[in-house]
Amino acid sequence: MIKRSFFTLTQPRLNYDLVEPDPKEPTSIPIPTDLILLLNEPIDSTKDTLIKKGNKVEKGEKLYLYADSTEYTISPVAGTISSLDVYSDNLGNRSTSLVIKSNQAQSDSITYDLKETIASADEYLRTLPGAPPLERLASDDNEINTLVITCGDTDLLSTTNQYVALKFLNDIKKGVQVLKTITTATKVYVTVPENSPLQGGLEPLQVFKTSMAYPSNLPAMVLKNHLNLVLPAGKTPEDMGVCFIAAEAVVSLAKAYQTKSAGFEKIVTIIDKQGNQHRAKATIGTPLRNIFNAFSIQVSEQDRIIIGGPMKGFATFTLEHPVQPDMDMVMIQDREDIPEISDTPCINCGKCLQTCPVNIPVNILVRYLEAAQYEEAADKYDLEACIECGLCAYVCTARIPIFQYIQLGKHELFKLRADA
Amino acid sequence: MNNIKLTVSHAPFWHDGDSLFQMNLNIMIATLPVVIFAIIQFGAPAFGVLSLSLSSAMIWELIMNLVSKKRISIGDLNSAVIGLLFGMMLPATSPWWLIVTGTFVAVVLGKMIFGGIGSNPFNPTLVGMAFLMLSWKVFFDFDAAYVNYDFDFTALAPLAALKLQGAAAVTDLFPLGDLIMGRQVGAIGATFGLGLIIGGIYLILRGYIRWEISVSFILGIIVTAYCFKLANPEIYAGPMIHLFSGYTLMGAFFLATEHSSSPANRIPMFIYGFCAALMIILMRNIGVYADGTVLAILLLNLVNPLIDTIRPKTLGKGGNNA
Repeated sequence: MIKRSFFTLTQPRLNYDLVEPDPKEPTSIPIPTDLILLLNEPIDSTKDTLIKKGNKVEKGEKLYLYADSTEYTISPVAGTISSLDVYSDNLGNRSTSLVIKSNQAQSDSITYDLKETIASADEYLRTLPGAPPLERLASDDNEINTLVITCGDTDLLSTTNQYVALKFLNDIKKGVQVLKTITTATKVYVTVPENSPLQGGLEPLQVFKTSMAYPSNLPAMVLKNHLNLVLPAGKTPEDMGVCFIAAEAVVSLAKAYQTKSAGFEKIVTIIDKQGNQHRAKATIGTPLRNIFNAFSIQVSEQDRIIIGGPMKGFATFTLEHPVQPDMDMVMIQDREDIPEISDTPCINCGKCLQTCPVNIPVNILVRYLEAAQYEEAADKYDLEACIECGLCAYVCTARIPIFQYIQLGKHELFKLRADA
Repeated sequence: MNNIKLTVSHAPFWHDGDSLFQMNLNIMIATLPVVIFAIIQFGAPAFGVLSLSLSSAMIWELIMNLVSKKRISIGDLNSAVIGLLFGMMLPATSPWWLIVTGTFVAVVLGKMIFGGIGSNPFNPTLVGMAFLMLSWKVFFDFDAAYVNYDFDFTALAPLAALKLQGAAAVTDLFPLGDLIMGRQVGAIGATFGLGLIIGGIYLILRGYIRWEISVSFILGIIVTAYCFKLANPEIYAGPMIHLFSGYTLMGAFFLATEHSSSPANRIPMFIYGFCAALMIILMRNIGVYADGTVLAILLLNLVNPLIDTIRPKTLGKGGNNA
């Protein structure tokens, strides 16, 4: 954990980690007997599910929960479905978890009838490693005219995207060709961390060098610093016609179009309790327990498993949490290292104001959020302008969980507006 | 399958390690040069006043915690800081009941009834101080307080002398070196200018107080006092006497910078610091009080919510209603 330095006249500087110049091959995690897939659709007890316990599935087979579902997942192995359960995330959104018993026999993936259209890509490739935002690109809501390929990682400590970009430079170029053909985008940019070992080789694509200081890789900051666009409060980059795609997604897209089948090998950065970095290659659906075992990381009672990163990630409650297409990093924090939070009121010290990259009046905002005044918070104190970097809660002297209040506030505000 | 319980909480999962305890502890550390000097200069009575003030402030908070059935919060040392600063503003010969009453007003009426730490609209130390100064004015006559002491420097409170006799008569009595090195009569923690500056710089470098307030405060004293001096050097003293006497430097580094009663945005901080200093000099030169620091800062605490609305525009916010 990065602590405050003794002299802190200026705001803290948290730097992104860099991938080592000549990275070695990631540790391959063997395909486990039980894989877990998350399907972004809740179980409806009144309807009959298509997926049933005991069903046989092929490697690469698309799985729908109901006949009229639009959400799907793809089985990364050939095997049998052994259970179907409800999964709810930390905001209470419900989805379905499937357990697939792998039959361990080596088999080839199903090949798809992939056409060079975005609709066809969206039909088969949504769950590729790196989670390409195909659904967003395929939707008619906004015309996407700019693509930004991010060869940096959005959160601290993770080096997954940098590693993929460094190793598979040619696949990125091929992937960009695919994207240019299947989407309406006319402009494609690439972001590369400024001190990254990846220098050059991306021509003729236009490269943006992003600063090493967090949160320069967040979409809103890239828009502001490199595209001179200001993200309006409550809008997404897609609303402005800009779509961000992780380098890993571009690489897997290129491979998918080459082989006409989906890939399932996800690169994950693992940070152990001592802060050492490991890199693993695991099949989507592998429970985290298997990865920890492979690196002999001991997980004990009250430790914290963090998925996504120390600033923006989320903590999981189970060691069975599966590797997912967008899971770039997993870190484990010893119970002794977990910082305390408190219910002390804001003391108005102003450190959050100094550190906020978008100048939100956090000190006032948090008072409204504590009082559950979400609409006032959004109207007067710019709740929706938050780009969710987590720096305010990181520096808070009173140790208020500000970021949690902000996310709760946005969630409640969304519900209020949906009800209105 | 071994089902172990994991800790689940919300991002961010890191913290820079700062806490209220750390912050208040550092403020207390920053007062050490002045406190040690005061104990050497004024002896055991000064030590007694500081100890009683600090401990009684903490006890008042503890009592309020118990009465209101809230979590015991003295562990964050906020009351200790209030008590310590309160003690530093008293003469070394203050009677015990004065101190206990003062810390009661400071902690209970200044802070706890508003909801505890962070909720006080006024600096609690100054609320207690203003109450005592208006109620028992006689105990704040520093000339009378130290009548039994035998000093080897001018045993005359600079600001009171200035008020009575005018600048021309007293300027020579107080050489700048004496004022800076604490060779003057005054409150326990307010005489040693150099120590206050060292403590203040320590806090600024550690990031526990905001340099904008301190710098603009000192600038405000210098500019305003200089203007008065230009107008009539016979009556009005120059900036240095004002800066190094009375509670001025305590105000600049320890009182005006109290977080919950001061602004948090940059431009408001400059306005707040400068206006507080302006009010001090106005009170000293035109008003009836010898030292207006307490009331001037309280007055600026009052307008703080208003000036703190001047803030930078949020990125992504439409319109110009910032």
